[in-house]
Amino acid sequence: MAEIELVLRHFLASIGYAHWILHVLLILPLVGAVGLLLSPGSWARWFTLVVAALEFGLALGLWFAFDPTNGGIQFETTIAWIPGWGISYHVGLDGISLFMVLLATGMMPLLVWGSWHSIQNRRRGYYALLLALKAAMVGVFISLDLFLFYCFWELLLIPMYFLIGVWGSANRLYAATKFVIYTFAGSILMLVAIIAMVWLVGRSTGTYSFDYDHLLSNSAALGPAAPWLFTAFALAFAVKVPLFPFHTWLPDAHTEAPTAGSVDLAVILLKMGTYGFLRFAIPFFPAFALSKTVSAIFVTLAVAGIIYAALVSMVQPDLKRLVAYSSVSHLGFVMLGIWGSTVESVQGAIMVMLSHGISTGCLFFLIGMLYDRRHTRQIADFGGLARVAPLMATAFVITAFASIGLPGLNGFVGEFLVLLGSFGRYPLAVTLAATVVIFAAWYLLWAVQRVFFNPMTNPENRTMRDVDLRELAVLFPLVFSMVWMGIYPQPFLRRTEAASRRYVEMVRPYLPPPANAAAAGAAAAVVEARP
Amino acid sequence: MNALDTTTPIGATLALLPELLLTGWSLVVLLVVAWRHEGERDSRFAGWLSFAGILLSLAAVLGMWHGDWHSEGIAHMVALDSFRYASATLILLLAGASTLLSLRYLGRQRLLAPEYYPLILFATIGMLVMAAATDLILIFLGLEVMSVAVYVLSGFDRYRRSSAEAALKYFLIGAFASSFLLYGIALIWGATGQTNLSLIAAQLAGGAPTMASLGLGLLLIGFGFKVSAVPFHMWAPDVYDGAPTPVTGFMATGVKAAAFVALVRVLDQGFIAQAHQWQPVIGVLAVATILVGNITALAQESLKRMLAYSSVAHAGYLLVAAWPGTAFGSGAVLFYLAAYCVTTLASFGILAAIEHVGSRTVLIDDLEGLFSKRPWGATSLAVCLLSLLGFPGTFGFVGKWYIISSVLREGSWILPVAVAVGSLISIGYYLPVITAMTFKPERTIDAHRQVAFSRAGKAIVAMAVLLILLFGVWPTALLNSAVRSARTLAPQAVVTEVP
Repeated sequence: MAEIELVLRHFLASIGYAHWILHVLLILPLVGAVGLLLSPGSWARWFTLVVAALEFGLALGLWFAFDPTNGGIQFETTIAWIPGWGISYHVGLDGISLFMVLLATGMMPLLVWGSWHSIQNRRRGYYALLLALKAAMVGVFISLDLFLFYCFWELLLIPMYFLIGVWGSANRLYAATKFVIYTFAGSILMLVAIIAMVWLVGRSTGTYSFDYDHLLSNSAALGPAAPWLFTAFALAFAVKVPLFPFHTWLPDAHTEAPTAGSVDLAVILLKMGTYGFLRFAIPFFPAFALSKTVSAIFVTLAVAGIIYAALVSMVQPDLKRLVAYSSVSHLGFVMLGIWGSTVESVQGAIMVMLSHGISTGCLFFLIGMLYDRRHTRQIADFGGLARVAPLMATAFVITAFASIGLPGLNGFVGEFLVLLGSFGRYPLAVTLAATVVIFAAWYLLWAVQRVFFNPMTNPENRTMRDVDLRELAVLFPLVFSMVWMGIYPQPFLRRTEAASRRYVEMVRPYLPPPANAAAAGAAAAVVEARP
Repeated sequence: MNALDTTTPIGATLALLPELLLTGWSLVVLLVVAWRHEGERDSRFAGWLSFAGILLSLAAVLGMWHGDWHSEGIAHMVALDSFRYASATLILLLAGASTLLSLRYLGRQRLLAPEYYPLILFATIGMLVMAAATDLILIFLGLEVMSVAVYVLSGFDRYRRSSAEAALKYFLIGAFASSFLLYGIALIWGATGQTNLSLIAAQLAGGAPTMASLGLGLLLIGFGFKVSAVPFHMWAPDVYDGAPTPVTGFMATGVKAAAFVALVRVLDQGFIAQAHQWQPVIGVLAVATILVGNITALAQESLKRMLAYSSVAHAGYLLVAAWPGTAFGSGAVLFYLAAYCVTTLASFGILAAIEHVGSRTVLIDDLEGLFSKRPWGATSLAVCLLSLLGFPGTFGFVGKWYIISSVLREGSWILPVAVAVGSLISIGYYLPVITAMTFKPERTIDAHRQVAFSRAGKAIVAMAVLLILLFGVWPTALLNSAVRSARTLAPQAVVTEVP
């Protein structure tokens, strides 16, 4: 195994992979989208599938070419874009964004397969938007220039807006509009904050630049403006996460979007918020962001979100809405891990981001398949489906267990690390969050029971088809990676460790002493004991 | 080599070359339409003739710009700097585009009358003079030439009551504004004995007497009317709504551009030492304009009125850009003017194509399903609206970013936040238009059948959309050019004693 990796790494190095891969990942979907609009409509699906497979195949090289021992930015390129105004095309990857890019590109072929039959009208436009969305997502995660980042961040709204608005279900108009307004409202102040930062840093250093590294290394110059700037950044990211009181757009958008839209929302869009905190909001303003009061606010909101969303999930009659609310709950764990500020908790947060993407994405695919067959998502309309669709039931049960965080599946690894890493700093919050996992088991298993196992009262369910080969091709990679990540997470953890360590070392000087020194000592002992 | 002494007759003539060329040409057009004004053919001929004149004048401006013509010593009456050339280029391009947009429209809406194109040319001459003038009297002259022509143009649709109402309202309020301006000029003259901006600046360098401050205040009120800043904006929606659509496009862009470049020149060249006095006024006007313009636009059902209120809101953003009084800020005014004008003109061009014969109110609901029937038109309008909204990747975004940068540089926090909040509110009225066009099905089978783009209209809209996207992604050259041009605005040192 290690040998194959080595050979591949040499091969990739010999073709200069590190120099062109990020640009190709960014441009390929865009070129694909344009090509799609120019080609005949009957080609749309195959064309997109080829582009998506190519994109994923190329992105897969990142897994091997990535140097796990390096916590810094890799694959870095800087090209002047608007010189004289300090704006450049500066892209790169580190252990945090690596998996986000892999997740985004890996989902791509599955999304095309998943929408193979369910999208009947205006196929060309649909797939072109899907490709454009992918380009913007990759852009968000690889941008290391704040102007570039903001552009991608906002550009993402357009394809998502149309995907929900044109191909969504009944209440799509409301959901699409709400989604755009919430996100735009969050991010417009971030623009002011970005410009203000550039100006403040520029005034003290003499260099006006939107470059991430430049701003990061000179963030001390922000001085008394830091709280305001952090608030603007945090608002933009909190809406995207979504953190508890800003989450109301999410159930609507998730529920009304077409399957591929929901999957993309769950898999990538929600991660943009937490990624933003990890990459920008906290590193830029660590002293304020990690101060006692602000930490308390964010941890409280995260735990409140975990509990609230779990409780709300329980009473949802709509299966998709139930899963949507469970996302709020999962992302609460990520926020907790980020504010835990230990290597374990940050790695755990990245793992939760990753595994939530896979398991929730899979759940949305499954719900989409149910909807394609029965044109309903109401839990009450189903029942006893395991008898007619055993394969689907199996996939659903495994995925539900992964989402709950059953040991041996991917959900457990991340949540465990988050809880472990954050306990020293926030024992009460961690205790509460851990308890709520019981609720997660409750609402998901209850839903599984009502959909797949209760007596089959609705005669329409009797003739339902099981998954076909195409759908299996969508589900299998997802279920496989759930098991893989659950049993053998080491390759994933190895790649995130250096970046997490670098992040934690960066913010450590700003951490207030933990509330419970003894507990911190215990956690530290656990940390030391781990290899 | 290319230095002109504007005190000599030859120098002054050469300095006014673009304006003089256009004046001569417009007289020719006037003669031609006096002979030939029978049908649509003749009207179109006059249109193309005017367009040729505009191109001629544009060539003169570009030649002067390229040849770097500048004045010896201070500019008497007429400026010879890049700021003037840049603004004149913009104004002439707008006039040319408006002319082309009118070609078919006049015939379709039965507005054929010989005087239309000469009036457009006269208004353009006025705008050019405003952009060039370094003397308050000349600014006033340019303003009047422009305004009188536009009063007539806005009432051009003489069969409609609302058009007549627009013209009368515009005329009365415009006359009112002119008198404010004139009285301001008189007070400033009384305080300094000068009307030339550079000489005024020299006089006021040590501090302004109350009379001069009062004059400046009146001047600001006069300009406030012309750029439709709140609370002097009441006329704008009615006038924009009542005027024929290409004229509205011309008014919303050209008139605003001319008024803004003149305002910026007055503030930066003549009263820069009094910045602490006018900055609070401009700031308050800007915030009020942004908020009122955006909030009122939310309530509009007619597309044209919505665009009218949005243009009021954009005047607010431009005022924010005028607030710093630095080269950077004035560059932002130029840049945002270009972004705003290109986008707004294209929007009105599309609206003109959508309007039905006879009934001229296009409600936002009427656009439902436009995308499925007219994908290119709907996409173009969507791009324009996103640019007005300030979405990344468009011209408007770079403009807003530039404005926010220029103001933050001077340490103001309230104005950038006001721009951000204004943009946020504006999503509430731009987005429903896009929603209606793309998400909703058309109401009747033959909806949008009457949508008719002329070939020239198509070309203008397509060009504008391309520009919006091009400058949204590669703005470097234009940004640098805007700053360079604005830098020439700095008050000129007065060497010789005033004669």
